[in-house]
Amino acid sequence: MDIKYFNPYSNENFLGFFYQLGLRLYGFISGQIPLRELASDEIQLIVLMSLAGSAALVGAFLVLRKMTMLANSLSHTILLGIVAAYVMSSNGILEGDEHYHPINIQAMLWAALGVGILTVFLTEFLTKKARLQEDASTGIVFTSLFALGIVLVTLLTRNAHVGTEVVMGNVDALQLEDCKLILIIFGLNILLTGLFFKEYQITTFDPALANALGFSTLFYNYLLMVQVSATTVGAFRAVGVLMVLAFITGPVLTARLLTHRLGTLIFMAIGIGFFASLIGVALSRHILSVYGVPFSTGIVVCVIAGLFLLAIIWKKIERSRLFGKFQAKDLVSTS
Amino acid sequence: MIEASPFQYFVDPVLRAPTLGSMLMCLGASLVGVFVFLRRQSLLGESLSHAAYPGVILGVILSGLLSFGESEEVYIAIFIMGGAAITALLGLWCIYALERHLGVRSDSALCFILSVFFGVGLTLASQVQFSYSYLYRQAQVYLYGQAATMTDIHVIVYGVLAFIITGVVCLFYKEIQTITFNRDYAKSIGMNVRMMDAVFFVLIVIAVIIGIRSVGVVLMSAMLISPAVAARQYTNKLSLMFLLAGLFGLLSGYLGNYLSTETSLWFQRVYPSSRLALPTGPMIVLVASCICLLSLLLAPERGMLLRMCRIAHFRQRCMYENLLKAIWRLGPHQAVSFEQIAKHQSTSKFYLRFVLWRLKRNGWLQTNDQKFYQFTHEGEVWAAKIVRLHRLWEVYLVDYLGMGSEKVHVNAEEMEHIITPDLERELTLLLHDPQRDPHHQPIPPKAF
Amino acid sequence: MPTTPTHPFAFQAHQLTVNYDKTPVLWDITFDIPQGHLVGIVGPNGAGKSTLIKAALGLLKPISGSVDFFGKPLRSVRTKIAYVPQRQSVDWDFPITVRDLVLMGGYGRLGVLKWPRKADRVAAERYLEWVGMDQYADRQISQLSGGQQQRVFIARALLQEADLYFMDEPFAGIDLATEKVIMGILSKLKAEGKTVFVVHHDLNTVENYFDWAVLLNMRLIASGPVKEAFTAQNLQATYGKSFSLFDEALKLSQEKTHGAVS
Repeated sequence: MDIKYFNPYSNENFLGFFYQLGLRLYGFISGQIPLRELASDEIQLIVLMSLAGSAALVGAFLVLRKMTMLANSLSHTILLGIVAAYVMSSNGILEGDEHYHPINIQAMLWAALGVGILTVFLTEFLTKKARLQEDASTGIVFTSLFALGIVLVTLLTRNAHVGTEVVMGNVDALQLEDCKLILIIFGLNILLTGLFFKEYQITTFDPALANALGFSTLFYNYLLMVQVSATTVGAFRAVGVLMVLAFITGPVLTARLLTHRLGTLIFMAIGIGFFASLIGVALSRHILSVYGVPFSTGIVVCVIAGLFLLAIIWKKIERSRLFGKFQAKDLVSTS
Repeated sequence: MIEASPFQYFVDPVLRAPTLGSMLMCLGASLVGVFVFLRRQSLLGESLSHAAYPGVILGVILSGLLSFGESEEVYIAIFIMGGAAITALLGLWCIYALERHLGVRSDSALCFILSVFFGVGLTLASQVQFSYSYLYRQAQVYLYGQAATMTDIHVIVYGVLAFIITGVVCLFYKEIQTITFNRDYAKSIGMNVRMMDAVFFVLIVIAVIIGIRSVGVVLMSAMLISPAVAARQYTNKLSLMFLLAGLFGLLSGYLGNYLSTETSLWFQRVYPSSRLALPTGPMIVLVASCICLLSLLLAPERGMLLRMCRIAHFRQRCMYENLLKAIWRLGPHQAVSFEQIAKHQSTSKFYLRFVLWRLKRNGWLQTNDQKFYQFTHEGEVWAAKIVRLHRLWEVYLVDYLGMGSEKVHVNAEEMEHIITPDLERELTLLLHDPQRDPHHQPIPPKAF
Repeated sequence: MPTTPTHPFAFQAHQLTVNYDKTPVLWDITFDIPQGHLVGIVGPNGAGKSTLIKAALGLLKPISGSVDFFGKPLRSVRTKIAYVPQRQSVDWDFPITVRDLVLMGGYGRLGVLKWPRKADRVAAERYLEWVGMDQYADRQISQLSGGQQQRVFIARALLQEADLYFMDEPFAGIDLATEKVIMGILSKLKAEGKTVFVVHHDLNTVENYFDWAVLLNMRLIASGPVKEAFTAQNLQATYGKSFSLFDEALKLSQEKTHGAVS
């Protein structure tokens, strides 16, 4: 494990950060700087941006299908999957405070898949067989599985802090290998969403017609869940499982205020996510350099919230500007 | 090995506060949970508890700024609870604004506020870890709950709040019942629906802020959902539902706290090096979930296992009735051999023998010296009844509803097991006591 | 231009029975509809009209019986069938423009991994013009009125360029202008030899709109040209009898199947 003593971004303020970034980019592209010498800031950037991209892709359909609470549920139950992957990949039980442990990427992805399907299955079971309201079923499933996960993880690792880590993530401890996982997941999401765009569109908007035309709504539901599980598991190291939700809902809701077209919505959401990640990392570096106060991932969530507020304000301004125009138009046209 | 007897948990000065505190907190949450369940807003608790977290941290920061130390525990607690209440209410307002003014769907609004507020809270928490590390522990405690460090003052405060919740529920019982059942009707008879909405929101915020100490922010919503769901399985009456939910809440609070303390102590004995304290929250939630699961499975009337038993029992009765009917058709007063019966049945010979034996044992059939089966009086009455119901139903379908007579047999095969005496009476009246079915077979008269 | 199939019957249902738990909602439905008719399906609420369409389109699985389109099963002729679901079945707040919604009609034909082509877009424009919604092509669907929504739905079905159309309550809750537009479309379709099934709720207008009537109340009461099938006697049989005993028995049957205490 290489410990970087020299971080080119140390002591840079906000603008200095971008300047450095530009220089480094040029260095990477022209081959002067080898990839293994990525600074921790850059690793954070790559991970966060990929995460934001993945989250925007799945988030668009989750929001439109009104399935965001299921994503919330998944983000909690994934802990059980992580415990399982933990047990599967490392046969040792960690003592003390060591945060870095070998991640078996395959074990993680399989665990995510398994838990995702389990969550959906249990929720459906409670709703259909036990005749329970959907919101109550979701709640019971994820709280009990998550509680189980916390108890198991605390007992297995004998470390009471793991519970916090899972929820917060530890973005400063990210290594190069983490980039790999999250980039793969991003690629996977782009591939699947791009390939099945119109199928997702029609099964979301009009499931009856979709079935009549021969598309299987069940299949696309499960596919979406698989994508969400993969995204969540990829995120847990970086931002913790709960903040993924901010990435899933925030940019999509912001973009929704600005556009009416699905394709544009998705691109905008990805863009907003990228932008928030960039600003977030730059800001946290700035605050560290200038004020000596370390903030971590939380900043990005604040930026996402800030962008949403900006979008609201923009919309209000636009509406009052067009209000004058509409009044005149309504007098003339009939609808 | 049990470290301390269950009774001691109420008496021992160290154990008393966490136990009572957890129990009171769970009581409050479960009562409010019934209300939440009826309004179908179970996930609102989830959002609000996460929204309370930044408030907790702000309270901690404020305590840090005012240089509070260990001795001013009470003030710290007050700041924390106050902060939690403020941000929870803020979160509530944001959710409302998102839904009402921006047209965001309910689930997206809940999720967004949940994650954003919580994210802000975590950001601030990392700050606290850096600047006020001795207070950081306070903040951590609220993530998953840590009842062990509660004091009697906490208990008093929680007691008061739980009392307020119980009082409000009792006072506004009628309104709660009417409004959650049929909002428009409640409005039409002059109930102040908006005030009740406000009361509801205040209650849920109170439940959340007292809950997050015992169970933690992340798992709080479980205590709003699980006891209510469990209680629902036992009763249709609202008053009973409140009572049972409260009871389950108390039980979860006690057992969860008990188990988590016992486990931590046991752990410390076995692995003395790790100073592990199992957080209480997850244990309380596990207990509550177990109670909920057991209720879903075993509750009389609605329990799943019991329902499956009833279904199996019904199917068995259908099997008996079909067999009796078949024997009746072969000749109601004749003795029939096993082979004659088996000829038209599709089940295995072995099972058939078993069912026939059971029918004989229960007194519906009897055997003569040649091992031929014959009805007992009761058996004949039952068989005749089934045939009557079958043929009556066929008459209904063909003559009254106009179905084709070739098609009605299959449906009648299903319905003959279901028609109640009341239904039979109505059919007889409607069809003017028919004597023959659509296939010109005689309909057995009504037995007395 | 795809040719209309030459089979005499557009639709043939054969002993179609659809259950809800153990009890039939549609019972032993058998009828044939020749090509080129405007068919009105009428019956009381809950009598199985929508169920008939859904079972025919494979959205519900029948207990027994079969349905053929132009002499073939659904799988082989999906592209020749268009479906206009009920308006309430859809969330009209979805981010999609009118034009893109119409283009959705072509997805079945395109299959997976393909995108709408130029020809599809030109066709979409044309059909929007047919229903009088071409000015609204770029409008967000949440801004449409009920009648406009229905028209766009129909334009989407027209894009499928099918030979058989199923419409579920298209005349419910629309304005007069839209009603005229829809009637015009239906006449046009009939003139081109297409067959259209419409689930209809307003008995007063059946004779004006349709030339073939199907009367349903769990089982088939009548099917034939409007003059022959839509008679007072048949209407009495469809709407007149009380089904309350049957409903009660149905409820009991459901309870027993789910193991509830009754």
